[in-house]
Amino acid sequence: MLDGITLGQYIPGESLVHRLDPRTKIVISVLLIVLLFLVNSYSGYLLVGLGLLGIIALSGMPLRFVLRGLRPLRIILVLTFVLHLFMNEGRELARIGPLVATYEGLHRGILMTVRLALLVLATSLLTLTTSPIRLTDGLEALLNPLKRFGMPAHELAMMMTIALRFIPTLFEETEKIMKAQKARGADFESGKLTERAKNLVPLLVPLFVSAFRRADELAIAMEARCYRGGEGRTKLRQLKMRAADYWSLTIVSVVSLVLAVLF
Amino acid sequence: MDKNKTRLIAQVGVAVALATVLQYVKIMQLPQGGSVSLQSVPIIVMALLYGPKVGMLVGGIFGLVEVLLDSYVIHPIQFLLDYPVPFMVLGLAGLWANKKVLSIGFAYCLRYLAHILSGVVFFGEYAPAGTNVWLYSIMYNGSYLIPEAVLTAIVSIWLWRQLQKRGFSELAQ
Repeated sequence: MLDGITLGQYIPGESLVHRLDPRTKIVISVLLIVLLFLVNSYSGYLLVGLGLLGIIALSGMPLRFVLRGLRPLRIILVLTFVLHLFMNEGRELARIGPLVATYEGLHRGILMTVRLALLVLATSLLTLTTSPIRLTDGLEALLNPLKRFGMPAHELAMMMTIALRFIPTLFEETEKIMKAQKARGADFESGKLTERAKNLVPLLVPLFVSAFRRADELAIAMEARCYRGGEGRTKLRQLKMRAADYWSLTIVSVVSLVLAVLF
Repeated sequence: MDKNKTRLIAQVGVAVALATVLQYVKIMQLPQGGSVSLQSVPIIVMALLYGPKVGMLVGGIFGLVEVLLDSYVIHPIQFLLDYPVPFMVLGLAGLWANKKVLSIGFAYCLRYLAHILSGVVFFGEYAPAGTNVWLYSIMYNGSYLIPEAVLTAIVSIWLWRQLQKRGFSELAQ
């Protein structure tokens, strides 16, 4: 049941894009998303697409790999295109039975499908080149100014970090308990809904009890090391904005502004 | 720092990890593409143990971790309605401590609403005018959410009792 699952999309690397500060990459991704909603023409999308290709080239990842991220969306992409093709009013392009494809539909269909694909590519580039832990650090740093308005930036990031740390551990644990209970004849995959709920008891009770016990042990370990929240806490790996960060932020903002105004 | 706060941070973190793992334990695969998993059980159990505030915290952080691991952002409102919001509202299952089934049902109704709206926003943006997006969204999301709600409610209340018996809810408020 749990075989062949890869968690997260991150692919480690040493490229320029990988080494950028996570804050830079989060801001750039948001800029790209906004840009894709402002631009609304073939040439605009073409230029954004070329820009994304440039970033992919800089990241050193094979294009095939990045495009794979679109696969789960292929049905939605095709559906978007087909719906637009047949459901817009306008000059007739072709006719299949009662369905009329129009030139206007073709135009809108291409634009919408391309925008959808570019949006997914732009955001998956972020998670492909940045590890979840670094993203969490970046998020904490970006939320820090909101602290004075009561935003518990450090605590939120701490909980996310703990979650990310424990996912693999609990994965293994779940697998182990499932195998152990299956060996005793447990059946998790058949029966009526209420029967299945009952069958899950031998999996969930040990899993939850051990997870909560782990949490308590972790809390004791944190206390023993004098953990006392965000104030004055230091980090092993400091986030640091380098020249490359400022450059890429400037370039992306200027290009986005120009594209948003012109296209 | 308050000892209980450290314990809460650790428990919330581990509960979120548990939710992430349990989403891969698929109990039922539906023909339309949706699937029923146990991902919401840790959120509901935490809400039952510690009340709606902690429940919403667990749900919200689960949503954020999902974004970091594997997310599809195709519209700003779709992003909110797909990731943090549906799981945050599940935390409201801790709202009425002596009417647990009702609270869980209420929380699930709100989550259902968030998913329906997300579908409508998405298709409103990407499908041409005239497509009946409401009906489709209601049908598709209901197909997996209703069985999930029943399963999660049974399992969560049961687990909550077990955990309370073992003394895991002793956070002095």
